[in-house]
Amino acid sequence: MESIAFGIGITALAGALATVAGAAENTESDIGSQGDPNSQVQLAPQMGFLHRIFNKAIAGEPPAYGLWICLGAGIAWAFMAMQINPVLALVLGSALAVFIQGVYATTAYLGRTASLAKFGQPVFVDVLKSMTTVTMAHAFVAIFTTVTMCHLINAALGHPFPLPLLGLVWGIALGAAGSATGNPFYGKERQYQSQKFGAGVPISASGNIVRYAEAGERNSLDNGWFSAKLGGPASGLCFGLIVFLEIWRTVLFEHMGAGWGAIIVGVIIILIFTVIDRYIEVWARKNYGPYAKPTEEGS
Amino acid sequence: MSAVGAKPQAGGAMDVPATIAGIILLLVIIGATYFLVGPGLMFMALIGIIIGGLAIAFGVHFVPVGGAPAAMGQAPGIATGVAMLAAGAGLAGLFGGAWAAEQGLIVAVVTGAVGGGLLMAITCMFVTFIYVYGMGIPCASGKVAKDPITGDTQTEFKSQGTEGHGLPFVSYVGGVIGGLLGGGGGTLIYIMLLDVYKEALPGMMGALPAQIMPVAVSMAGIFAVGMFLVNAVLTAYNITGTIEGPHDPKFKRFPRALVASAVASALCGMVAILIVAM
Repeated sequence: MESIAFGIGITALAGALATVAGAAENTESDIGSQGDPNSQVQLAPQMGFLHRIFNKAIAGEPPAYGLWICLGAGIAWAFMAMQINPVLALVLGSALAVFIQGVYATTAYLGRTASLAKFGQPVFVDVLKSMTTVTMAHAFVAIFTTVTMCHLINAALGHPFPLPLLGLVWGIALGAAGSATGNPFYGKERQYQSQKFGAGVPISASGNIVRYAEAGERNSLDNGWFSAKLGGPASGLCFGLIVFLEIWRTVLFEHMGAGWGAIIVGVIIILIFTVIDRYIEVWARKNYGPYAKPTEEGS
Repeated sequence: MSAVGAKPQAGGAMDVPATIAGIILLLVIIGATYFLVGPGLMFMALIGIIIGGLAIAFGVHFVPVGGAPAAMGQAPGIATGVAMLAAGAGLAGLFGGAWAAEQGLIVAVVTGAVGGGLLMAITCMFVTFIYVYGMGIPCASGKVAKDPITGDTQTEFKSQGTEGHGLPFVSYVGGVIGGLLGGGGGTLIYIMLLDVYKEALPGMMGALPAQIMPVAVSMAGIFAVGMFLVNAVLTAYNITGTIEGPHDPKFKRFPRALVASAVASALCGMVAILIVAM
């Protein structure tokens, strides 16, 4: 009983850490303009729209976070093997991984922006100076919380994977959840804020991103402020729920029915989310649209 | 025609000479492994790895991926890359499967599958949530007039100048199936390799079975992650960009990916087995 209570406590803590990680990851990637919406940041100068948005698409979010969290976890693991206090090791490992992220962010901004020179897009040194540190700060929160979560799963719950491998696995999952949930909100809702609400961006408008703020030119900090209102928290909830439910079903139901208990609970959770998804979809169909008369043929 | 306006061709036809070459290559690799390690655990592990690779490659075709256009609500699907999303789901499955490895092959593989399906179910639900409540955009497929599962008509919910947006229910189900297959396949590869390493490493390193466990788990885990990415990336090339799910015409291309993935998994599997067999 005590071990179950302990397991549930660790599960809740891991879920909470994952929620913070997801929110920080999405906000970081939106300030840095790292996910798929970055295609528009890269495209805009080519269409004649020069801007001051940070542009650091180093890689897709999942492999990038796989690398940084694996690095953080690996360094922390090495420090722990040297008998350094785990809390200190986790902080140091994450901090060192953040410097790698900072180097990548700097070179990515300079390289990607320099490649747009023939379209007249300048490299803004003040953008580099003010944005890089902000993405690094958000990246630190994301990396530290995920590495700590992996350490809890490994040390307290006894998962067989070593810390760096857990870091790689959950880093990739963090990037996948964050980019899937947060990208549309940043890409459509923020970059194309001038387009109609409630409709996709017409393909003909591609590249015409919003470049001006209430005062002066819009920068990526404005984008971070905006996406922290919904895209970030939703990504955090998404990743937090994934981590929490995955561990919860294992910790509580693993020993029921020789392992089948956790499987049945997992299937029930999937079905519950399927029902919620269908409810949202039907709700949208009832409240928005239809925008044209039904036709028989697809496009 | 511009890159934006170009419609990708479905092109599901198999290239016969390439298919035959692939199958011959597969048989050569299987034969070579049989010749080198003989029948037994290691050979069966190679077969298991190939089956796991096939499950991953097939599963990735189900995952609705919209890439960059989806991030602007210009195309349906999840706004990220094919290989990345599949890897996220598959590796979350591998995490659960590895935890259940002691409870036998079937329980572990099914646990891994459910882990992958769980990640996709939650992620896809949040995608719909963001589209509907965050952006006020309903789900609409660009490839079919009616959702094959619910029968909902799609075209009248599409905004002007886009190919559709969001995740229609069939895409959601596709995503969950993709996660199930990916998680199960990745876990199968992991368990197969773990069995091989648990068997071979104590003799090779002159250590007790308990002492080599961390090494065996790490090696099997790294190889499983690597083979997962090999299969997911191969399939991403087959899909070329975006796919809406099982109802997309591009889905019919999967036989090509299965042949390629069988060869790639066999080759990677042979290397992973031979490092302890030779």
